Amino acid sequence: MRAVVERYGTALAGLALIVFFLVFAPNFAAPANLINVVKDTCVLALLALGFGFALTAGELDLSFADVASFAAVMAGFLVQAGHGAAAGAAGAVTAGLALGLVNGAVVTRLNVPSLIATLGLAAVARGLAFWITQGVGFTGRWPTAFTGLARGTTLGVPNLALWLIGATTFAWVLLKWTKAGAHLAATGEAGEAARLAGVDTPRMRRLGLALSGAFAGLAALLLAANLSSAAPNMAGDFFLYAVAAVLLGMTMFEPGRPNVPGTVFAAFTLKALGNGMVLMGAPYYAQDVALGVIIVASVAVSGTILRKAAFRV
Amino acid sequence: MSTGPILALRGLAKRYGAVEALRGVDLDVARGEVLAICGDNGAGKSSLLKVASGAEPPSAGEISLDGRAVSFRSPHDALGMGLATIYQDLALAPRLSIAQNVYMGSELTRGVGPLRLLDKAAMARGARALLARLNSTLDDMAAPVEHLSGGQRQAVAIARALRWDARLVLMDEPTAALGVRESAQVRELILRLKQEGRTVVLVSHDMRDVVAVADRVVILAGGRKAQERPVDGLDATDLTRLVMNAAA
Repeated sequence: MRAVVERYGTALAGLALIVFFLVFAPNFAAPANLINVVKDTCVLALLALGFGFALTAGELDLSFADVASFAAVMAGFLVQAGHGAAAGAAGAVTAGLALGLVNGAVVTRLNVPSLIATLGLAAVARGLAFWITQGVGFTGRWPTAFTGLARGTTLGVPNLALWLIGATTFAWVLLKWTKAGAHLAATGEAGEAARLAGVDTPRMRRLGLALSGAFAGLAALLLAANLSSAAPNMAGDFFLYAVAAVLLGMTMFEPGRPNVPGTVFAAFTLKALGNGMVLMGAPYYAQDVALGVIIVASVAVSGTILRKAAFRV
Repeated sequence: MSTGPILALRGLAKRYGAVEALRGVDLDVARGEVLAICGDNGAGKSSLLKVASGAEPPSAGEISLDGRAVSFRSPHDALGMGLATIYQDLALAPRLSIAQNVYMGSELTRGVGPLRLLDKAAMARGARALLARLNSTLDDMAAPVEHLSGGQRQAVAIARALRWDARLVLMDEPTAALGVRESAQVRELILRLKQEGRTVVLVSHDMRDVVAVADRVVILAGGRKAQERPVDGLDATDLTRLVMNAAA
């Protein structure tokens, strides 16, 4: 019984919350609203999964939101300069991946703790994004080939939902079913034991941070396509939400460890929470209060790996 | 395979800055024996283990495995040559499963070409079989190691050494921080390794371990070999006296 509560307690609480909104929040249960919640979940879940990759390897990536803003600006720059949707999409993901690789190099080659290294890179990415845009976002007309990546549907299913399913599956298979995933987990859980057992732990830490960057790039691409705009700091508001999704996810399914089902379910719950509170007429700042409580409470409940990553300074 | 010593150390020295932890140790480890290395704190036990296991390079001297001079670049390198080291605290990832710990760094996969997925069923079977050889009754290979007792954890760490088919197992304080019953379990494990024809070198503070499982004992003092003798006929009190005399 205790094990069930430990593994599924917060997940059941999240489920209860969603049921509560389904019953009591006006229009929450409307199909259009629920589809919106799922679509909102997509970008958040992608960023959270990326943060989770790095955390699995024992690294904190505090730069993912600024990296995403920078990647969105790169996509906007390429698309607005007339290079086409494909170049814009590739540009966003490449920009994210490149910054993730820089994080990995700084952490493993210059031996700067990820907490500091990614904080520094966040500032650099933010600065670069403003530099490219001169502070003004890319708006105006975007080719539908680009916006369709997020706003279109495939066989009647919103593309954002498909991206969410695809990214979730990719992350889950990688972490649970591949050697790289096992090595990432071993590196994060017991770096020295993993190294002594022959795991290339610096490489795994670089992989975790690179995946975080790449997922930030993909999230940025979908965010820009969905909003038809690309502005510096556009992903900034996602930072706390994504961190909260990972931490809340760590209280369920595999308690104490970042895990894919927990992260995605937590992302959905957080979006449902925000949506439901608005529909019930709660002031917007109440969400921030709820978010802060969720973050702290999640770490109080579990979060050993986070403590390890944060305090290895 | 030769019939000489499985591990031979010649003139092994290790300096840490101004500190001479090992000052030229010669040591032969015979095939199939359990050799205990004893000594007071600072006698050089840990340094000897680190250098012999490949964790640190010697400052001088030579290591031969099966009669061939070797220089390990890392403990993993040594593992590939049949020498496994079980470190006191660093051996396991507590929140990963038993199977993941046994196969850490050498996971089994199946698939085609580069498309390979973990073969979890084979790893669970393999881990269970290895633990059964150690008379361990652990059954749920998906259980995290943190839920196990200290003795069971040592069994998991030893199972990993068996997974590599290590012929020589170095153990650092295998019963430190364990209760009486768990220490007895670990001694059983060491004797199982010996029964399988494997060679065990253990560093231990616990003289009861030494008299219970070791064939021979080497006593270090001040970075040198002070004594080397069979354990036959010694009890824990005799051994303690020998160690104290060597240190004096």
